Amino acid sequence: MLMQTLVTGIAVGGVYALMAVGYSLIFSILNFSNFAYGSIIMLGSYVGFFSLTSFGMPFPLALVVTMLVAALLSFLNERISYSSLRKRKAPSLYFMISAMGTSIFLENIVYATIGASFKAYPPLFAQATVDLGGSTIGKLDLFAIFFSAAAILVMHYFIKHSRTGIAIRAASYDSTIAQINGVNLNYVIGLVFVLAGLLAGISGVFLGLKYMAYPTMGWITNKAYVSAVIGGLGSLPGAVVGGLLLGVLESLISVYIRSTIRDVFSFTFLITVLLFMPSGLFGKYLEEKV
Amino acid sequence: MLKKTVSFLLVCLFTAALTACGGGSGGNSGGSDPILIGHEVALTGGSALWGESEQNALDMEIEKINAAGGVLGRPIEFKRYDNKADQTEAVNVANRLVADGVCAIIGPAQSGVFIAATSVTEPAKIIMIGTTTTNEKCTVDDDGSLHPYNFRTTIIDSYQGLVAANFAVEDLGSTKAAIFIDIGSDYSQGLAAHFRNVYTQLGGTIVADEAFRSEELDYRAQLGKIKDSGADLVFMPTMQKEAGLAMKQARELGLTCNFLGGDAWASVELVELGGAATEGCFYVNLASLEDPNLAEWVAAYNTKWGKNPVMPNPVFAVDALYVIIDAIESTGGTDPDEMAAHIENIRDLKVLTGYISFEPETHNPTGKSAVIETVKDGEFTFYKGVS
Repeated sequence: MLMQTLVTGIAVGGVYALMAVGYSLIFSILNFSNFAYGSIIMLGSYVGFFSLTSFGMPFPLALVVTMLVAALLSFLNERISYSSLRKRKAPSLYFMISAMGTSIFLENIVYATIGASFKAYPPLFAQATVDLGGSTIGKLDLFAIFFSAAAILVMHYFIKHSRTGIAIRAASYDSTIAQINGVNLNYVIGLVFVLAGLLAGISGVFLGLKYMAYPTMGWITNKAYVSAVIGGLGSLPGAVVGGLLLGVLESLISVYIRSTIRDVFSFTFLITVLLFMPSGLFGKYLEEKV
Repeated sequence: MLKKTVSFLLVCLFTAALTACGGGSGGNSGGSDPILIGHEVALTGGSALWGESEQNALDMEIEKINAAGGVLGRPIEFKRYDNKADQTEAVNVANRLVADGVCAIIGPAQSGVFIAATSVTEPAKIIMIGTTTTNEKCTVDDDGSLHPYNFRTTIIDSYQGLVAANFAVEDLGSTKAAIFIDIGSDYSQGLAAHFRNVYTQLGGTIVADEAFRSEELDYRAQLGKIKDSGADLVFMPTMQKEAGLAMKQARELGLTCNFLGGDAWASVELVELGGAATEGCFYVNLASLEDPNLAEWVAAYNTKWGKNPVMPNPVFAVDALYVIIDAIESTGGTDPDEMAAHIENIRDLKVLTGYISFEPETHNPTGKSAVIETVKDGEFTFYKGVS
C-alpha cells in the first residue's frame, strides 16, 4: 500500500512539477506570477486534441505541433498583455491583474468558440499498466514522467550552459544591469515565454491524455503554482522538488489520514514552508534564481 | 472630437446591448403584452450540455403554445440568462429576472444553485420551479419551514438514495460498499447520506468513505484506498466528468467492483471520458430516453434540433412550464400567491412525463418514478424502472 501510494504520488507530482517549472521560469525573469500560464496550458490541451482527432496526426507530431503553438501563444501573451506594462515600468501587481484578465479572456474565448463540453483524447495506450513490484502505474504516467524529466533537464542544461541561457540568468539577476551589459531584454523575455510555452504544450497534451481538455482546466494549475512557491519561485530545481513533494504528500495524506482534509494539509505545508523559509525551499533572494 | 466619437460609439454599443437583452426568445405572436417567464439555466460551464437541452426543449414547446394562441390570449415570452450553474451568478440572474418582471422562473437545475437563487426570489414573491433539483432543502428548510414559492418537478434525493441502495443490495447483491463523493457539492453529500442510511439498514457495510474536491482530476490515492478496503461496489454520486475519470483511474488501478451513481451521470460525456471503464456501470436516472411515454416528444425534439435531448433536465423543464401555464390559466392571472396556492393543490395534471400532483406540505411532486440505466457497448441502456 505504501509503495502504491508513493508511486501514485510521484505520478501526480510529476505533472505538478512540469507546470511549476513554467511558472518559475517566468517568475524568475519578470518577478510576477503569470496566472495566464494555466490558460496557455488549457489552449495547448485543445490544440493537442484537435491535432490528434480533427487532423489525425500521429502522436509525436501532435505533441510537437502543440508545443510550437503553445510557445507562440505564450509569446503573444507576453507581447500583448505584459510588454506595454513592462515599458512603463508598472509594478508587478499590474502584471498579475493583466494576467488574470488574460486568463479569464482566454477561458471565455474557448467557451464561445469551442463550447463547454469536455474533450476526451483518444487513448494513446490501451488501459495498460506496468507492474512495479506489486504496485501498478499507468504506461502513460511512466511516459509522462520520463518525457517531462527529459524536457526539464534539457531546459536546465540550456539555461546553465548556453550563451542565451547565461543572458537569461543575467537578466533574472538584475535586468537593468544586464541591459547595460548588452543583453537584449526584449529578446530574452520573449524567449523565456517561448520556453515556458513549450513546457505548457507538453503539460497540456499530458493533462489532456490523462484527464481531458475543458475550458476551466487552467485552474488545476493552482496546485502547480503552490508547488512552485514551496520549491521557491524562480528556481527550476525547486519547482521540480516542490511538485514531487506536494504530489507524494497529498497521496500519503489521502491514504493514511483522510482525503477530505488533504488540501488543508497541502496548504498548511505551504504556510509552514513560507513561515520558516519565506523564499521557498530553493529560492534565493537577490542571488542566482534560475 | 475623439472624445465625442468615443461617447457616440459607447452610446451605440449600450443601445445595441439593451436591444439584444430585450430580445429574449420565443415568438411574440399576438399584439397584446407577452407573459414573461424566467429561465435560469447553465448555458456555459460543466452543466451546459443539459442547459442547452433545456433551452431547446422549452423553445420548442413555447413555439407550439404561442402558435396555438398563447395563454389567456397572450403570448408567452422567455427571459433567459446563463447562471453557469454557479451560485453567485444565479443570484445575479435572479435579480435580473425580478427586475424584468417575470411571473415565474424555471430552473436552476442544480440544488445548491437553486437554494442560492431563493434568497432573491422568495422576498420578491416569484414562483420558482426546479427541474432536477433533487435536494430536500430546495423546498423545505432544515427546520421544517416551507419555501412558499419554491416547487420542483422531480423526485428528491432521499428517494434517489433509496432506489440506489435497494438496487445495490437486491439486484447487485452488494454487501460491502465504498462511497466516493465530491465534498464541495450539496447534491453529492446529500445523496451519499441517504444511500448510507438505507444501505446499512438493509444489512450492508460501508467499508470506505472517500471524497475529493470539485475541480480535482486525480483520484488515484482515494481509489487505491477503496481497492484496499475490499468493497464490492463504489457508490459515486458525482457529476459525469468526475465519475468518468474515476472509473477510468479505478480500472487502471485494478479495481474490479461495480460502480453505481445518480442522475448526474446521464451525459454521453460519462462514456467519452471514462471509455471502456464505464461499461456495465449503473446509475439512477429521473427519466429515460427509452420511456415509451416520451417517444413521440423525443422524436419531435430530434427532428427539430437534429439530436436527442440530454436527459433528464429538458423533460422536467417542460413539466415545469406546463405547471406554470396551468397556474396562470386557472387563476386567470399572474398573482404569485394565487399561483402558489393553486400549484400546491394540483392533482393529476397532464404533463410531459405523465401526470403530476403536488404535496402541499413539501411542494414535492408525488408518485414520480425513477429508472436504472446502465452502459452497454458504450451506449446508455434502460435497465429497469422503479416506482
